[in-house]
Amino acid sequence: MLPAIAHGADAEFTATILEASFTADNNVSRSSSDEALSDRFLGVRASKGFVLPVSTRTRAVIQAFAGGERFGTYSGLSHAFLGGQGDFQFRSSGEFAAASYSLYFRTQAEYYDSELRDGYRHAYGLSVLKPLTDRMQLFVAIQQNIGDGKSTVFDTKSTSLRGNLDWSLGRWDTVYLGAEYRRGDIVSSGTQSLARINVADALVQDDAFTDKGYIAYRFQANTGLAALGYNHAFAEKHSLDLSWRYAQSKPLHPSAYGSESDVRYTVSQLSLAYLMRF
Amino acid sequence: MKPFDQFDDPRRRILIQALAAGFFSTPWGAAAQSVFGSAPRRLPPGQSIYRTSGRVLVNSREATLATPIKPGDVVETAPGGELVFVLAEEAFILRGDSRVVIENPPPSSPLKTALRLATGKLLSVFGRGRPTRIVTATATIGVRGTGVYAETDPEQTYFCTCYGVADITANNDLQSKETVAATHHDRPLYITAKGAAGERIRRAPFINHTDQELMLIETLVGRTPPFVFPMNDYNAPRREYP
Repeated sequence: MLPAIAHGADAEFTATILEASFTADNNVSRSSSDEALSDRFLGVRASKGFVLPVSTRTRAVIQAFAGGERFGTYSGLSHAFLGGQGDFQFRSSGEFAAASYSLYFRTQAEYYDSELRDGYRHAYGLSVLKPLTDRMQLFVAIQQNIGDGKSTVFDTKSTSLRGNLDWSLGRWDTVYLGAEYRRGDIVSSGTQSLARINVADALVQDDAFTDKGYIAYRFQANTGLAALGYNHAFAEKHSLDLSWRYAQSKPLHPSAYGSESDVRYTVSQLSLAYLMRF
Repeated sequence: MKPFDQFDDPRRRILIQALAAGFFSTPWGAAAQSVFGSAPRRLPPGQSIYRTSGRVLVNSREATLATPIKPGDVVETAPGGELVFVLAEEAFILRGDSRVVIENPPPSSPLKTALRLATGKLLSVFGRGRPTRIVTATATIGVRGTGVYAETDPEQTYFCTCYGVADITANNDLQSKETVAATHHDRPLYITAKGAAGERIRRAPFINHTDQELMLIETLVGRTPPFVFPMNDYNAPRREYP
């Protein structure tokens, strides 16, 4: 039986959102700088949600999404995904500056051209969205990430704290800044070395980079991410989004052998996306 | 002794002094507010304008944050401009390329406010128990305790009753009329200048205004809208790092 619906708030579907993107990534193998492999990929994503009011100040939001990414050179990384997210949200009032709190759980299945990477990805966490001024909005989330891949190398756990600041330059233009700290398992690929074997919790011959002879290895790391983006909306339901992301990962427990630079990496991504809602 | 609600608020004193000194009229003050925004709160008595951008005229004179707006005034924005302002218990966002005449209802009239939106786009919130009339190029609308959004040109008016009650009549066809009681943008309408008698009002999509804007202008008059969760119109992707 459905919960009682508050007066003036009806259960309803949210807009369907479609996204098509092009991304250039200078290190798709997540390798140390001397072995980094760059590539470009096209991405598509569609999502649709359903809002179910629970009380005047709480509601549930259920969202389904699907999509995929097609890589130009390293086709083993190409994949499709299908998933869903559930949020339970609380907002104390309709005041402009009132924060919205959300407890959420997300799960998705991923089907790669690389068999080792096939599997599931789950995340749960708590987020807060708060308008700071009439032009700035802050989003903060603490999240637990769980990866469950076909190969044990891709079984990962990490915790992340991330923030996002949206800065509206006008009615149609938004600049956003993002930062994230993540602690836990990551997977990197590269040639075998003493340092990598020593730091790895698990490793396997990587089937996405067979011609390079790379291994994929999982280890614990501190990862920092930064993002800078610009979104231009036009015609009410369409927008163009340009963003740059940078990530840096360092091992949590340095290897006793070799250089730390063997197992640290940086990634730079530039994306152009077209979004449409209807 | 002052009643509780009349105690001096130091922030209000400073703001009024700053306004009187033309602080926000200076390029620095206006630029800072325009770039980073400000946390909206109820405007102090005597202040009509919360925010301006682009060219804004009140009675054909360039408006600043210190310009008062009152019944009888004509407010205009240039293309790309915007004005966020308060009039008694009502608050408005006038978008660019718009012209609104704030009429002065006679004392005998039950109306508290009367607006003539000659052209352009206007988002409005009105206090409870304050009957108001909005006249556009193609429609006459009576509203009570309502948030509404209107866009008008000589051919048609777009009108959304965001919440509250509105009685809508086509100007050139009294048979085309409709009463909308809405809780959350339930029934946006087009009211056209031409068409068969009784058929000049038709359904429209939800366009060009947001719940965040309604919350903003309700705050300026010390109220909150009847909804708690705004519709999410954020259109930028929040991608996660795999």
